[in-house]
Amino acid sequence: MKTESKLYQKSVIVLGIGITTLVVFTFLFYMLKEPDIGMFEIISVPIILTILLTSTFIIYDKYKNIKAGLPTQDERLKNAAYKAGYYGFVAAIWSAVGSNMGSIILFDQELRGGLVVAAVVLISGLVFMGSYFYFSRKGS
Amino acid sequence: MKTRIKELRARYDLTQEDLARKVGVRRETIVFLEKGKYNPSLQLAHDVAKALETTIEEIFIF
Repeated sequence: MKTESKLYQKSVIVLGIGITTLVVFTFLFYMLKEPDIGMFEIISVPIILTILLTSTFIIYDKYKNIKAGLPTQDERLKNAAYKAGYYGFVAAIWSAVGSNMGSIILFDQELRGGLVVAAVVLISGLVFMGSYFYFSRKGS
Repeated sequence: MKTRIKELRARYDLTQEDLARKVGVRRETIVFLEKGKYNPSLQLAHDVAKALETTIEEIFIF
């Protein structure tokens, strides 16, 4: 079976750490600049923490496999990533519509454009990670 | 689907990790294959058969 080179696998880990750090810093800057910490900001904290923990787990898992001389990804995980990507895409579409609608129903107010974008990114990211985690541990 | 991977692996005194390294997949994939919980592609089935010096139909029983 054709496997990626060690340099490529290590680059993926470095990229993963970089993206995770950027997400955390972006969120921290947003929280520091936001004058009113409301319900939406508080809700996003556990979502960010979940994304952070899951990405840490995935990065650690890849590192462990490289150390054991095994590939970080194979056809089973690629299939899991494709499936999770599909679910993440569907979640992105529905969260774009549903986040604003949910806000109107629950809080009787429309979401600001930036918050809708944040909801789409966070929800689709969460769905992708959750389904990737589920499919990678389920088998076929 | 049933597989004879565990039995053949024992014959060659290979651990799951050894076989995974020979085939070029993660150890978990070998675990799922042994339990019959993953339907491999033809390429992967061929690689597993080659690593265990046998044929696909000897390993995977449908």
